Amino acid sequence: MNYVIIGGSAAGVMACEAIRKRDEKAKITLVSDEKLPLYSRCLLTYLLAGQITEDKLTFRDPDFYKKNKIDAILGVRAKSIDVKKRAVKLSNGKSILYDKLLLATGANPKSIDIPGVDKEGFFTIRRIDDARGMIKLMDKVKRVVVLGGGLIGLRDAYALMHQGKKVSVIAKSSQVLSQMLDKEAADIIRDTLVANGIEVKTQAAAKEITGGKTVEGVLLDDGTKVDCQMVIVGKGVIADIALAKGSGIKTHWGFLVDEYMATNVKGIFAAGDCAETRDLASGEMTINGLWPCAVEQGGIAGANMTGEKIAYEGSLSMNSVEFFGLPAISMGITKPKTDDYETLVFENRNKNLYRKIVLKDNLICGAVFINGVESAGVINVLMRKRIDISGIKERLVDNNFSFATVMPLIKDNSDSFTAEEFLDTIKTYQ
Amino acid sequence: MPTKTSKKNKAAGKIKIFCDLRKCTGCKSCEIACAVEHSFSKDLVKALRESVPPTKRVRIRDSFGRAVRISCQHCEEAPCVAACMSGAMYKDPKTGATKHDKDKCVGCWMCIMVCPFGAIVRSIEDKQALKCDLCPDRDDYACVIACPTGALFAGTPEEFKRKAEKKL
Repeated sequence: MNYVIIGGSAAGVMACEAIRKRDEKAKITLVSDEKLPLYSRCLLTYLLAGQITEDKLTFRDPDFYKKNKIDAILGVRAKSIDVKKRAVKLSNGKSILYDKLLLATGANPKSIDIPGVDKEGFFTIRRIDDARGMIKLMDKVKRVVVLGGGLIGLRDAYALMHQGKKVSVIAKSSQVLSQMLDKEAADIIRDTLVANGIEVKTQAAAKEITGGKTVEGVLLDDGTKVDCQMVIVGKGVIADIALAKGSGIKTHWGFLVDEYMATNVKGIFAAGDCAETRDLASGEMTINGLWPCAVEQGGIAGANMTGEKIAYEGSLSMNSVEFFGLPAISMGITKPKTDDYETLVFENRNKNLYRKIVLKDNLICGAVFINGVESAGVINVLMRKRIDISGIKERLVDNNFSFATVMPLIKDNSDSFTAEEFLDTIKTYQ
Repeated sequence: MPTKTSKKNKAAGKIKIFCDLRKCTGCKSCEIACAVEHSFSKDLVKALRESVPPTKRVRIRDSFGRAVRISCQHCEEAPCVAACMSGAMYKDPKTGATKHDKDKCVGCWMCIMVCPFGAIVRSIEDKQALKCDLCPDRDDYACVIACPTGALFAGTPEEFKRKAEKKL
């Protein structure tokens, strides 16, 4: 069998592993438009901050491709798919044939369309070359403007603060982290950022990037001008679905896949940031462009490409960050839009403690944790497995909540609930 | 009686630490032993005076009047390994243990976000995820040795299955 994987990040690499595990003789070819292999792009802001060096970026051993007998074609882009010939045309002029194809093309950063984005010092950060470009300019930069108050924007801001730069974050929304957190939690994060010297301006947008050849400032829509030598856009990503063109593969925001990670075209699968899957909390089709989702989807897609039939449970929007020692985790629906949801909140502003659980019909649909994050995973699994929590509802936001609190539920739902290795322990919980 | 496990067994793999909750009284001897084992001095009295207090990787918590041990279960399909974006969490191919590479961890807490047991703790000082590492510096397991009731057991899943199914 001849497998071709387009994309060399989490989903692509996990698929390679899954295929190789099941088929020692398979011919596996991986195509990636990046030259540096096996690096984790989530770590780029840590690199930017100077917290790690380039050699720490890899999430697999450097000899991974060789060891797994994978023909890795790096620095080459897949241009188009010929579904009839089962061939992928590459940017180097060559064409490769496949029996099974995985699209793990990832996503591209959203940019903005205002005058001045062509100046030196304007960046989006998604690839190693972006980070390298920023690091190269670092000595010339005193002040940075980050456009976007989302996770990427704030991580960029935090990284540059670490490098001793003055940082201003400009966010369109009325709060930071509007996709990830509710207003209350976001305000705790914002206060912490501000207290540590990051300037945060919400409900504002850039109108123009000023300067000559290089960036000299940003003009905001309220007329204020901020002097800076670097502008970073951190406004999220858009799935890279250019390959769909002319292939007949159905797309919406991303490649549409069924529960087996297969697209509508026979033999073609998709996984990771380019794949649109069912969201577990909302039930709607969406892209949860997250490392853990890409890992899971890539593994399942790889297995199913070899003929297995593993169904994907669905993806869950979730994220975890820490700024200045303040950890925050969120998952699922954090800002319910209708009133058929119930919310439980525990808050201690003095200790920057905040915990919120969003419920519907006694099922957990979402959660937010600021500090005291250690039991977040317990809530995660209750939500994922759709366990009725009516028996312990009032304890969910209790400061003493832990795995022990949910033991009775685990016992009652032991068939669907937990890792097999724990089943015998449950028997002794009497 | 507490079960001692030889080094040979440990290296052969598949050994995990289990807790027979029927025998656990919640005395927290395992917590103390774990903290001491993960201190610099590995000595109870000296450990108390260390500038960075040692962190225990096992916790005993109350579950409606019963004690429950919370610690890494070294899951075969480990969610923490799947969620780790730096490659710090990994499975030992020989022993099946879930291991953590300190040099690779950046403290993003993705592992905490997905651990169904809530068994991973944050080391605030050096931004590291901490969890049961099966006592790499010793031949046996500190918590198992310290357990006065024999609730903690180091052995294969099959061995524990037999114990769990046996009446007390």
